[in-house]
Amino acid sequence: MTETTLNLKLKVWRQKNPEDKGHFETYQAERISTDMSFLEMLDVVNEKLILDGKEPIAFEHDCREGICGSCGAVVNGLAHGPQKGTTLCQLHMRHFKDGQTLVIEPFRAKAFPVLKDLVVDRSALERIIEAGGYISVNTGSAPEANNLPVPPQNSELSMDAAACIGCGACVAACPNASAMLFVGAKISHLVLLPQGKPEAARRALSLLRKMDELGFGNCSNERECEAVCPKEISISNIARFNREFIKASFGSTEE
Amino acid sequence: MKLDSKIPGGPLESKWDRYRFELKLVNPANKRKFEIIVVGTGLAGASASASLAELGYSVKTFCIHDTARRAHSIAAQGGINAAKNYPGDGDSIQRLFYDTIKGGDFRAREANVYRLAQISNQIIDQCVAQGVPFAREYAGLLSNRSFGGAQVSRTFYARGQTGQQLLLGAYGAMMRQVNAGRVTMFPRRDLVDLVVINGQARGIVVRNLVTGELESYAAHAVVLATGGYGNVFYLSTNGASSNVNAAWRAYKNGALFANPSFTQIHPTCIPVHGTYQSKLTLMSESLRNDGRVWVPKNPGDTRPPDRIPESERNYFLESKYPSFGNLVPRDVASRNVKQVCDQGLGVGPTKYAVYLDLRDAIRRDGVAVVQKKYGNLFQMYERITGQSPWELPMMIYPAVHYTMGGLWVDYDLMSNIPGLFVLGECNFSDHGANRLGASALMQGLADGYFIIPYTIGGYLAGTRIPDVGQDHDAFKESINQVSKILERLLSIRGNHTPSYFHRELGRILWEYVGMSRDEVGMTKAKEMISRLRDEFWQSLTVPGSRKDLNQTLERANRVTDFLEFAELMVDDALSREESCGCHFNVAFQTQEHEALRMDETCSYVAAWEYQGEGKAAALHREPLRFEYVELATRSYK
Amino acid sequence: MNWLIRTFSSSIGKKQIMAVTGLGFSSFVLIHLLGNLTIYQGREAFLSYVEKLHSLGGLVTLAELGLVVFALLHIGLGLILFVQNLQARPVRYAVKKRAGGRTIGSITAPYTGFLILVFIIVHLLKFRLVDKAATDDFIILSNTFTQVGYVFFYILGVIVVAVHVSHGFWSGFQTIGLNHPKYMPLVQQLGMLFSVLLGAGFASIPLYLFTTL
Repeated sequence: MTETTLNLKLKVWRQKNPEDKGHFETYQAERISTDMSFLEMLDVVNEKLILDGKEPIAFEHDCREGICGSCGAVVNGLAHGPQKGTTLCQLHMRHFKDGQTLVIEPFRAKAFPVLKDLVVDRSALERIIEAGGYISVNTGSAPEANNLPVPPQNSELSMDAAACIGCGACVAACPNASAMLFVGAKISHLVLLPQGKPEAARRALSLLRKMDELGFGNCSNERECEAVCPKEISISNIARFNREFIKASFGSTEE
Repeated sequence: MKLDSKIPGGPLESKWDRYRFELKLVNPANKRKFEIIVVGTGLAGASASASLAELGYSVKTFCIHDTARRAHSIAAQGGINAAKNYPGDGDSIQRLFYDTIKGGDFRAREANVYRLAQISNQIIDQCVAQGVPFAREYAGLLSNRSFGGAQVSRTFYARGQTGQQLLLGAYGAMMRQVNAGRVTMFPRRDLVDLVVINGQARGIVVRNLVTGELESYAAHAVVLATGGYGNVFYLSTNGASSNVNAAWRAYKNGALFANPSFTQIHPTCIPVHGTYQSKLTLMSESLRNDGRVWVPKNPGDTRPPDRIPESERNYFLESKYPSFGNLVPRDVASRNVKQVCDQGLGVGPTKYAVYLDLRDAIRRDGVAVVQKKYGNLFQMYERITGQSPWELPMMIYPAVHYTMGGLWVDYDLMSNIPGLFVLGECNFSDHGANRLGASALMQGLADGYFIIPYTIGGYLAGTRIPDVGQDHDAFKESINQVSKILERLLSIRGNHTPSYFHRELGRILWEYVGMSRDEVGMTKAKEMISRLRDEFWQSLTVPGSRKDLNQTLERANRVTDFLEFAELMVDDALSREESCGCHFNVAFQTQEHEALRMDETCSYVAAWEYQGEGKAAALHREPLRFEYVELATRSYK
Repeated sequence: MNWLIRTFSSSIGKKQIMAVTGLGFSSFVLIHLLGNLTIYQGREAFLSYVEKLHSLGGLVTLAELGLVVFALLHIGLGLILFVQNLQARPVRYAVKKRAGGRTIGSITAPYTGFLILVFIIVHLLKFRLVDKAATDDFIILSNTFTQVGYVFFYILGVIVVAVHVSHGFWSGFQTIGLNHPKYMPLVQQLGMLFSVLLGAGFASIPLYLFTTL
């Protein structure tokens, strides 16, 4: 924690509402401590804007510890900024240089319309989960937990995928705005557990169809999603989804 | 006002069973005619929405975030307790019950806590069936670890992301009901008022955070699961949007607020490092299983920690509490950390930090084992501080984490307003004056999955609830009032931001109503809060309008309630003339500086009733009777 | 057969057809290359290979028909996917930067695909759709590759193919779900090796003919 300060130039996307065309505006971020998080830096800029009677930059955030998945913006062309495996809220200013210019844009995809400034509507991801991203078990009907052993390596792989925070950076970074990593992670999380097997075929097909319907692009294996994912979720989950799709299409009675 | 906790009679073990049998049932064909509003989608809210919809009720669920899955339950790291006794180390429902009551310093209801312990096992079954990837042993069976305040291993965990995984389970169950058309989701809504008609909770008014529109929703019952109010301290481990609005507006509509001063200060958080800081980050308590807490024996020892020899280290928790050592409950650990820092033994640039050292565990178990258990926590620490815990011990300091206080509820989890149910951290029910680690997740899910589905049925089946629509005058009245407040916030145009007031409020509370409290300080705090509130209404500034997405207005609206609520917190702390759990009044301590409980006079739940603008709240005491546990002085020595 | 249509009209379905046809082309060009390499054994060897190939008669027609179908699918679906992908992000980023996943092959895949199509058309017009009554394949070949322009065109063409395959090869495996932590690195290395050998192998022939004739 050796603190120094930076002066930065911010070029931030400002857009009043979904209909507004939007534009970049330039701000100075002065005397920014290197111990600040990126969002704390934005806080400082916003406090000044408010005191100047201007509307602050709208951005989403909540837990500020990298787990809720609320935050996210594209900083100098990279979703969640330059630090690997890190959400914007956990990105600290010590990774930037004095005098640097930062271009801050919202996540962009047809399926993620901008609501205001850096706030986008990611509810398309909800619609996908709603279509079947769960195990259908009613409260109270569960068998004793240890009745069904799960090989720990499967449990670990499942957990790797389940770590997804639903931030949408994968979509934002994908040159095609595809949601395959998000969906692949959900499919993997559930299908790697014996509890998730009975519904595997139905889940694979319904999630896929919903995803297609919502206007996401197609995966062309560019691997940008994996590179920006703050939880470093592997594209092997996309392959597993592809596999599950074949099984569901040709090896099950689901249509 | 008579507080009826509705604790069923009979032996402790069979109270819940018998009570459920006695509850009236709703005819299955009628269930869909009952509309239930659930506010909040953390563990309690999501699990309640799912379970109620599965039963056939028509559920409307509201959340503040863009999606239900972002509720702050997601940030819980360590784990969830259950009395499965898989390790065979002596656990039982009875022991979990006893540990929880004792951990809460005997300020919780026996019957509620016993029920919680009973339900704990079912929760694990439910979560496993939903696909929660809990940690497992080599043979594929579930793994357990130990946690603060317990000498048995009863904590189930999914790496350092247990809350996330449990929430995704509950969220999935709820989304399944959304798909089935039995739950309607209303995201990006901020509760601004509870609507009470004919003495019954009949609906809510929310602000649509995107359009700014005030919207009314009517129902037969309202379930609040809106979490805790730790953010009243400004700096806490809570998410930025965690607030007291829902609970506070219920309170202003007549619901009682219980034990508001019971706030848990978590011992292992990353220390404060700057005035711009917006939140504090918790390092899971599980680190205390293998980590050793110490400070240098000599004040002002500026050597790097790895240069300080064993003989010059003071492992103060281990030496003071030989049997629990580093695993003492949170309140005890926090207070001891504060004490050594107050004595000038603290480390780091601010001297308000102590070391949490995993060196011995790394040496004993090897890097791989430690990496598997704590890898992501180490990573998080390094990301924030820029320093690797593999090389040097972490530095920690206590931070506000959880609030045991909350809206008063009876055994049904219903507040004193009929039809208003309160679940999870938002209620006061199970943790007394201090919550044990890994018990919050347990309580949230117990309330949502396994209690509310029964008790709400009893209420709906046994109560005459007249038809009321959202066009009722009470909704219009409420919208009018809320609009006025919002307009007022926008019209001040002063020279301070909402964050400024929030930060100032936090400073006052941390200083005077934090880990140790005294009458002089608290009285002073009350005045300061009152002054700050006046200043707020004179010099606040909020740009923009209320008719669109306006985050400054949202913030201001929350600070408004925090500023009012803080005073009640102080009142509560002042009125409790003892020390218990998290509430440490310096006038009540033993010679060894441990909390001195006054069971004769203070064995009660403090339930506060709103008396109107500018009037002091009225205190009602619900006496706590202990029939099954003996009130003992907590000792972790 | 509604389910079959649904399967192949889905995004993954389309991509899996891309993958299968793409991997099909990969095996085709491999065989094509191996056959062509007989040229290093001299004119006779090359012509006897050509003859043997043609003696298969109906099978060759069938294979060619298959290639045409594959090509139509690969090109048609590729085009649809390309357009859909463009539509999926109507507003582009002001700053574009690689996060570390993309490669030259993956970035250029749709464009190299288009260039390959042009290349193949020229190629077919030059070598396949010609009247061979008065000549033979070796003569056509040697006549072509004594012209420096064609040599350049071909070398550039096969480089484009190699770049396309450098992404397409492993990508095909990934898309049909063949990704395993143990084998995927091997598949990726194999893909690179394959594209380099493919490029080098095909490029060597015009160079060889140009320099030796």
